[in-house]
Amino acid sequence: MDSAIRLENVCVNFDERFYLNQINWTIEPSQHWVITGTNGSGKSALAAVLAGVGDIEQGTLTGLPGRVGLVSFEAQAELIAKELKKDDADIMDVISVGTPVQEMIFSDCADPELASELVEKFGLSHLLDRAFRKLSTGETRKVMLVRALSSKPELLILDEPFDGLDVDTLAMLQQHLASIIETTPMVLVLNRFDEMPDFITHVAYLEKASDDCGQLTFKVDRQDNSAFSELYQLLHLKTTDLQVPKPDPAAQIPALDANQPLVKLTNATIKYGDTVIVDNLNWTIEPGKHWQLSGPNGSGKTGVLSLITGDHPQCYTNDIFVFGFQRGNGESIWQIKQFIGYVSTALQWEYRVSVSCKNVIISGFYDSIGMYSKSTDNQKKIADEWLALLGMSDRADQPFNKLSYGDQRLLLIARAMVKHPPLLILDEPCLGLDDMNRQLVLALIEKICEGNETTVLYVNHHAEDKIAGIEQYLALEKNG
Amino acid sequence: MANYFNTLPLREQLEQLAKCRFMDSSEFADGVEALKGKKMVVIGCGAQGLNQGLNLRDSGLDVSYALRPEAIEQKRQSWKNATENGFTVGTYEDLIPTADVVLNLTPDKQHTSVVKAVMPLMKEGACLSYSHGFNIVEEGMQIRDDLTVIMVAPKCPGSEVRAEYVRGFGVPTLIAVHEDNDPKGEGLALAKAYAVGTGGHKAGVLMSSFIAEVKSDLMGEQTILCGMLQTGSILCFDKMVEEGIDPGYASKLIQYGWENITEALKYGGVTNMLDRLSNPAKIKAFDLSEELKVIMRPLYNKHQDDIIDGTFSRVMMEDWANDDANLLKWRAETAETNFEKTPAGDVEISEQEFFDKGILMVAMVKAGVELAFETMTAAGIIAESAYYESLHETPLIANTIARKKLYEMNATISDTAEYGCYLYNHACVPLLADFMKDIKTDVIGKGLSDTDNGVDNARLIEVNTALRSHPVEAVGAVLRGHMADMKKIV
Repeated sequence: MDSAIRLENVCVNFDERFYLNQINWTIEPSQHWVITGTNGSGKSALAAVLAGVGDIEQGTLTGLPGRVGLVSFEAQAELIAKELKKDDADIMDVISVGTPVQEMIFSDCADPELASELVEKFGLSHLLDRAFRKLSTGETRKVMLVRALSSKPELLILDEPFDGLDVDTLAMLQQHLASIIETTPMVLVLNRFDEMPDFITHVAYLEKASDDCGQLTFKVDRQDNSAFSELYQLLHLKTTDLQVPKPDPAAQIPALDANQPLVKLTNATIKYGDTVIVDNLNWTIEPGKHWQLSGPNGSGKTGVLSLITGDHPQCYTNDIFVFGFQRGNGESIWQIKQFIGYVSTALQWEYRVSVSCKNVIISGFYDSIGMYSKSTDNQKKIADEWLALLGMSDRADQPFNKLSYGDQRLLLIARAMVKHPPLLILDEPCLGLDDMNRQLVLALIEKICEGNETTVLYVNHHAEDKIAGIEQYLALEKNG
Repeated sequence: MANYFNTLPLREQLEQLAKCRFMDSSEFADGVEALKGKKMVVIGCGAQGLNQGLNLRDSGLDVSYALRPEAIEQKRQSWKNATENGFTVGTYEDLIPTADVVLNLTPDKQHTSVVKAVMPLMKEGACLSYSHGFNIVEEGMQIRDDLTVIMVAPKCPGSEVRAEYVRGFGVPTLIAVHEDNDPKGEGLALAKAYAVGTGGHKAGVLMSSFIAEVKSDLMGEQTILCGMLQTGSILCFDKMVEEGIDPGYASKLIQYGWENITEALKYGGVTNMLDRLSNPAKIKAFDLSEELKVIMRPLYNKHQDDIIDGTFSRVMMEDWANDDANLLKWRAETAETNFEKTPAGDVEISEQEFFDKGILMVAMVKAGVELAFETMTAAGIIAESAYYESLHETPLIANTIARKKLYEMNATISDTAEYGCYLYNHACVPLLADFMKDIKTDVIGKGLSDTDNGVDNARLIEVNTALRSHPVEAVGAVLRGHMADMKKIV
């Protein structure tokens, strides 16, 4: 391959069953890519596009070399179907044996010497005379790999090549691939990061845009360690079977009367001197009804939230009912805070104490910034489960303040949720995050929203940034 | 009014001075119960008044503010502080007669007039609380027999008292009951509940006496905490500039140096602070500090003697009566020092560099901490109190210098501390004149040269042993252990 393969705004239609949207991607001759992503995001489809599959409806695809080697389940299935068809098409009254393996490999082979060597290495020698269609799935796969590798491809596309291979064959294949990296650019589709060979230089990440459409969202250079580990975490969060850990049974939050609202603000007003920030706001949050609160800077979003959390001194001069307490009747703020999980940029700034990542999560049980009580074994166990969910188990004992901004945000969300509070307040949870970290945070929030009893109050600058499942909206306007 | 301490027989003086006990967290199991439903009225809405009030209210207690009529009429800052935070504000006449507890959080200087105005309005059997015992101990204020008198003194600036509470923690707090005024025997229960209300119980509470608090607090703030840092700043800066070091660099080395080196003190005492130096530098710092201790010991003794016998408070009160003439003059002089006037240069100084190039500063901190501690304990103050009022608070004060130099330090501390600090500085600067003549940039500004890196093993062992066996290190290890248990940042 002499020149780069370029996909510019490419939209592909796969028999109207699946689409890829607006792909922009350049593969330089010296690069080796892995395509990864969530289920149904179109990883195999994107790989197949490079082998000429699908109708390009928009955009341009240039630089595709003449000889492309493709190994995938789809190509494998197609080949087997073709073989079976030969049988059906046989008009002579002879029992067809189908094409033998020998012919499948050597009839149109660019490098027979290499093919022989690989047949040996893949342990196919004793199968050469057998009909291709009689082989097991694993054996047909190996045949396809030998065909592709010995075809002197200018671009080699391997879709899940390591699936179902035994340990020795896997090692042999990896070694062979490593030996041809100078001459053959490769694109591998992999579902798991830990299978990624060392020679891979770049990773392309796809997301599901809708049920039948995928898009390429991130392209990461492997040299970029932080982006690479974030992508790993994102894939982990999107694909893990791990669930949000259960709360600590020893630290039960008192039960609330299900017939009462969680929060009821009556004519809530915040003012400083003569400046009115919030003017006679009436707002009720019923259990189970998620809310989105939006409004421009200075519209009093944070003020309203702090009336609810008890952080605003004027919560004592307002008519506020929260979690069964009419404020200002001898309750302490810790009695209020136990019902709330809270995440905001301000919290992240305030979280300056030197604490390990694990303790940041555990501090959510105590509503404290930092840890001032001895944690129980069970709390430690729950924190470990959260770290596993976040894909951050390796960072359990690292100091919180040494983490990336995005990782800190993930931990603070886990901290807010660790006790499964009746109300989870996410105050601009994506503020200040780049796109990848936004995706990470949203993936975690979605995970949290799956089947938990927590009522979510999502606060965002822009009313149009919505989260699935939120149906009530309160938009504040700037006063004066 | 006579100095209360001086009216006591020696036996009782010694007994009161020696009061200080680190309380167990189980002693706070009743939480704020003793104050629940009681009306707490705060007098004064400065940093301590406002922030303690915010904490107490957030702990479920009933807090309001009594201000003087002119503060209310003119909508002064104290009025704004209280009303903007949603507190009820009223005059003494409005609120004091309804109060179960009156919290006097005004500056020392106003105590006499405030207490005289408030006392007749207080209802039978109520409680009067202080955050500092100066008025009772030094001015000998007599409180009505039916009133309970307690002290709850958070050992941090008001802003910290609030910030730590919001974090879910608190600041170390000293409590005391004035035994002459505990008619119903409820003083301790009230003081404990108050400490819980401000979050202090989470960070550790010391049970002390009015006398021990006043005599140790005055000594600490005048000498090592503020006085030594001010004198050290001025002398080190002038020496560096005299020796040709860039003034911007010198200014920065000092402004942030105290904070950096005393951070090591906070974690591991004097030993750890000196362990941050190379071996030759450590020996150098040790020798300098020994020299400093000999020169300064009479000054420390004089401060302690004047505090114990009441001379200090008498002289300061004369200045109060003279419209603070000396305080204001000294404050203006401090603003005119070269250190204060030279802004920190735009140079990078690494954390280790503050130690390596500030050997003399390390020696000054060591000498000041040890002298203050030795002098206090020699005067009958128990080691725990002496530790808190010397070593423990030094990093807190050093932080204020890092923020805005001596101006910030003197603005943050009480007028009493500020007055004592200037008094110390005026005596200490000339006292160290000869000593400073021999000082060169190897111990302040440039650090030891590479050729000075040899040490004698026997001498090093001697120095290490001396450092580790000082009594402030023994009590410090125990108290820091308590603190670490509580503030478990594992």
